[in-house]
Amino acid sequence: MVDPILDIEGLTTRFFTGEGQINAVSDVDLTINPGETVGVVGESGSGKSVTALSIMDLVEDPGKITAGTVRYRNPEFAASIAERHPDAVDGDYVDLLAVPKHVRRSLRGTSFSMIFQDPESSFNPSITVGEQIAEAVEVQRRATTRPRSVSARSTRPEYRFSDFLLSTVFPSRGYVSESSKQEAISLLEQVGIPDPEERVGQYPHEFSGGMLQRAMVAQALAGEPDVLIADEPTTALDVTIQAQVLELLNDLQAEFGMSILLITHDLGVVARMCERVGVMYAGKIVERGTVSDIFDTPAHPYTEGLIGSIPDIDTPGGNRLQPIAGNVPSLLDSEMGTRCAFADRCPKAMQRCLDEPSELDASGSQSHTAQCYLVSDGYAEEEALPAGYFESSGGDS
Amino acid sequence: MSIAKFLTKRLLQGIFVLWGVVTILFGLRAVSPGDPATLMLGEGASRELIQQVREAEGLNDPVYIQYADYVQGLLVGDLGYSWRSERDVALMVIERIPATLELALAATVVAMVIAIPLGVISATRRDTPADYSATLFSLLGISTPNFWLGLMLILVLGVWAGLFPTGRRPVGLGPAVLTLAETGSISELTTWIHYIALPAVTLGTYFTALITRLTRSGMIDELGKPYVTATEAKGLPELLVRYKHVLRNTMIPIVTVLGLQLGTLMGGAVITETVFNWPGLGQRLIDALDARDWPLMQGIIVFIAVAFVAINIAVDAVYSYVDPEVALE
Repeated sequence: MVDPILDIEGLTTRFFTGEGQINAVSDVDLTINPGETVGVVGESGSGKSVTALSIMDLVEDPGKITAGTVRYRNPEFAASIAERHPDAVDGDYVDLLAVPKHVRRSLRGTSFSMIFQDPESSFNPSITVGEQIAEAVEVQRRATTRPRSVSARSTRPEYRFSDFLLSTVFPSRGYVSESSKQEAISLLEQVGIPDPEERVGQYPHEFSGGMLQRAMVAQALAGEPDVLIADEPTTALDVTIQAQVLELLNDLQAEFGMSILLITHDLGVVARMCERVGVMYAGKIVERGTVSDIFDTPAHPYTEGLIGSIPDIDTPGGNRLQPIAGNVPSLLDSEMGTRCAFADRCPKAMQRCLDEPSELDASGSQSHTAQCYLVSDGYAEEEALPAGYFESSGGDS
Repeated sequence: MSIAKFLTKRLLQGIFVLWGVVTILFGLRAVSPGDPATLMLGEGASRELIQQVREAEGLNDPVYIQYADYVQGLLVGDLGYSWRSERDVALMVIERIPATLELALAATVVAMVIAIPLGVISATRRDTPADYSATLFSLLGISTPNFWLGLMLILVLGVWAGLFPTGRRPVGLGPAVLTLAETGSISELTTWIHYIALPAVTLGTYFTALITRLTRSGMIDELGKPYVTATEAKGLPELLVRYKHVLRNTMIPIVTVLGLQLGTLMGGAVITETVFNWPGLGQRLIDALDARDWPLMQGIIVFIAVAFVAINIAVDAVYSYVDPEVALE
């Protein structure tokens, strides 16, 4: 078996707000193998995006990663920082949560890159698309001409204020080189944008949503990353365009061999793209397995609920949609309690679910696990909560 | 829309605005009390002399003819003659433009150089002592009256510390630069800088404070937008994210205020010029008002209106550069 390129264990990210602590991501384990597409699926507010941002080290104040390891396999990178940060290095792996900010920053674009949900708001409206892609190319170009071993050692910024001032007076002294601009054109061509020569000079508002998402893919590929994180890459797009963008991601993955971490609420996208899936609920991964594990033998009642709420258009007259009752729970620490976060929406909640949630447990195969007593202990009807239990007790928070 | 078409359209609008200004000015003069001829000649003038002047100045003509004469004069650049000094008003305005322009630009430069970095620091280090100091500074700057600040600067830095000269400046920028070109001596230029420093700071303080606040709030707004995260995600150096991306978008409202402010300053900073005895348009306007010297007053105000309109057209043109989504409309 291949070693994973990214091995996340116990990742915990919290937001410390005025109203209290928000447990956005709790104890998430996730591995991604080279060239693999792993999906993370869940409702909005389940912590999927924060997980992605935590990997990129882009969690914004007042958020903080409070625990866990994010181990990234890259022998060259490990060797380059072994001397300065020996604690973070373990063989070919580097624990990204144990290295300083500027080292993590140096991995953005070149090791990890990201595609965002809404392409229209993820491009700077006042800079041409070509220039923005060329910036990403330039980041990669400078990283290769300035070896990691050097950049990891020096804390001196590679780009200084004086450079910026110079570039405002002499446009030719700008950050982005001419060759990077040329590269931006060929990247646009690669992602299937017609007339790339003309398109590079246009602003984001002159692009359609689908074209702009393609441009974003081009931008994310510019650094030839090991892992591409796609956060709801198709949510803001029309259905037909969605399929095109997914197709594009598939093709590019086949060509470049990067791993993809696909974050989505759309099980259809997961089925189409992913090999393995993690189902996220209330900041935790409640079930994980291969795509067939999850779709054919879902173990966690939440996963079952998710699959039940996919419209079935094949059966004429069809079964009625079965939405999951209730709402996504609050992630506010004080309101979460110790019970299983899904208990109040779970059709098979039991007494013991209220005391302490189950650990992740094997279900069927080695790779298929779910965090539920139904899997580990089975359903005990005598323990079942009476109907309307949560309404009467005010939600047991 | 092409730039030529845009400019033509805005120029036509500008002309319409100017026509309005001129007409209102003329109307005010027509209804204001007091006989110009008496004003010109003084209380003791004989009835015949006054009548003679009224005739010569066209004051006995019907108002619409006076108006037509006035507008016709304006069209060929004839602003009339000052009632007080009997000099050509156009000349009296033009000779005061350099000092006003120098002060306006110096104040703007002071403001931009201090305010933008201060606003950026304030926004990127929110809720730190640096931010609190900047916020306090801008609050003080906005609430300090100009005349008081000017007097204090003269008193403290000029009189007590003796760092800066007080009184009317001996040399303007133009002559100072000429001297530099001819003789290579920079002494006149340094004198000029010494004299303009305090008025520029006085005039620029409010503006600095305003731009600091605008930059801070604009940056904070922009920093929260998704494209900032996306730009950081591609590994761009933080400095570029802040200045090339975020600050650039923050500049849009700043350019607006800059234009409006510059337009206002072109009318001369009346208070600052008075406090520092600065030979600019503002001071001349006050003198004209004191003497009820209508032609001079009108001439200055028409010039201010022209400058204001011109600067605003320029600002709109700059907009389309800063914000490509604002097509020239």
